[in-house]
Amino acid sequence: MAVIDVVNLSKAFGPKVVLSKVNLQVEEGESLVVLGGSGTGKTVLLRNIMGLLTPDSGHVAVEGKIIAQLSRDELFTVRQSIGMCFQMAALFDSMTVFENVAFGLRRHHKMSETEIRARVEECLSMVGMKETEKLKPAELSGGMKRRVGFARAIALKPKILLFDEPTTGLDPVMTDVIGRIILDLKHELGVTSITITHDLKSAFEIADRIALIFRGECIACEAPADFKVNPHPVIQQFLRGDADGPFLQDPPPPKRKIQEAHS
Amino acid sequence: MILTLFDKAGAGVLKATDTFGDFAVLAGRTFAAIFKRPFDGKNLLNQFQSVGVNSIPVVALTSLAVSMVFAVQLAYGFKQFQAEGLASQVEGLAIMRELAPVITGLMLSGRVGSAMAAELGTMQVTEQIDALECLATDPIHYLFVPRLLASMVMVPILTVVSVYIGYWGGYLILVGVEGQSAYVYGNEFYKLLAFRDLRIALYKAFVFGMIIALVGCWKGYRTQGGAEGVGNAPTSSVVTSSLWILISDFFLTKLLLV
Repeated sequence: MAVIDVVNLSKAFGPKVVLSKVNLQVEEGESLVVLGGSGTGKTVLLRNIMGLLTPDSGHVAVEGKIIAQLSRDELFTVRQSIGMCFQMAALFDSMTVFENVAFGLRRHHKMSETEIRARVEECLSMVGMKETEKLKPAELSGGMKRRVGFARAIALKPKILLFDEPTTGLDPVMTDVIGRIILDLKHELGVTSITITHDLKSAFEIADRIALIFRGECIACEAPADFKVNPHPVIQQFLRGDADGPFLQDPPPPKRKIQEAHS
Repeated sequence: MILTLFDKAGAGVLKATDTFGDFAVLAGRTFAAIFKRPFDGKNLLNQFQSVGVNSIPVVALTSLAVSMVFAVQLAYGFKQFQAEGLASQVEGLAIMRELAPVITGLMLSGRVGSAMAAELGTMQVTEQIDALECLATDPIHYLFVPRLLASMVMVPILTVVSVYIGYWGGYLILVGVEGQSAYVYGNEFYKLLAFRDLRIALYKAFVFGMIIALVGCWKGYRTQGGAEGVGNAPTSSVVTSSLWILISDFFLTKLLLV
């Protein structure tokens, strides 16, 4: 049985259909990377998995439990087994790094302060953020915030990790650091994960399978090697990073020669 | 033309019903979450500090100013009928029954309700409330309940502070400026008051506390649209809670004086 089972998931906001009959299965311990253009519904997919949004039709099941059919208390029990890493980290800005990472532990576990401290230090060291416990989120860079967000997500020892564009807006070096941390977490914790990213380099490093969402539909979901040679024109255009092709709905501006553009 | 008018009126009624229903559901969920676990004492104490202790200066200053102005008006008015002695009695009655709870409620809706709306609004647009949900924490329980409890406790306490400051505001004018006897003022201030008046003031303050916290949290929780939304939430919270305070004051007065 798949740990995460997305079945015929559709979601629209007013007239705009964001997801249309998306089917995805993620097996235990598997790492799925979801690619797609901006605004194609990748984050909406994660929010449906977390139960932050309700599907218009279809459903999401986590470990066999259909998320939309759970009561609030049952949903919170399921959420304790899922760690969510937000695009902009979503750290609690009134709390220190330590309090952010300790938040879930204090709410859901009867642990002593010493045990909580040990677990927070362990999580922070896994993401290379030791010695930052006393800092507030406002004192951290974008990459540091993401890493603290990872530490907060893994503090409760989840079985599933969801990463929502963890490298967006970061420099290439920090993007590589984040990619390595995700890989480390995958190997050390053995969790099932879904990562949404635009960064193809880390996508191919992290993924056991890669899915591409195009205009609300999942047009491919396969191993990285197969994905690379998939002849679908949208996939090939996405991999090339070229503006010309079927990917964009509106035609892109005409391409100028490099010399002309710089003159 | 007529159909368009009916359309607009219908849409307005539907929107108003929808808004009120949303508020009622969130308020109901807040009251239902009061007894849920885990109990976060530290969070509650922070709210007592933020709602109560930090509001003492503003409540004290406004109560002093309003009671002094009111004493000046009463002294002037009663002097027309050579009934200066009544000024302290009416001052006591007005401060206890109306001025203290209403001024405290209005000041706190501006100081505390707006802060709640801005804080929760910022948390909403920066996905911090979603992060709470993902950490298996009910935002209503974690954010609304401590603010509601703190407001329901601290607004009545601040109303008592306001009555006390109001007494000395009247004293400054009627004794210090108008030359009434301090002994007479002390006796006359309480002459028309009964324990029931204090009870009415506390009931009102309790209801105003609920309005301030629930409206502030609701407006913040429903914030949409980034910086503009966060900017609008406190304004909307202050206007809505002030209106509700004044409207509920009328009905509470009618109800409690019977």
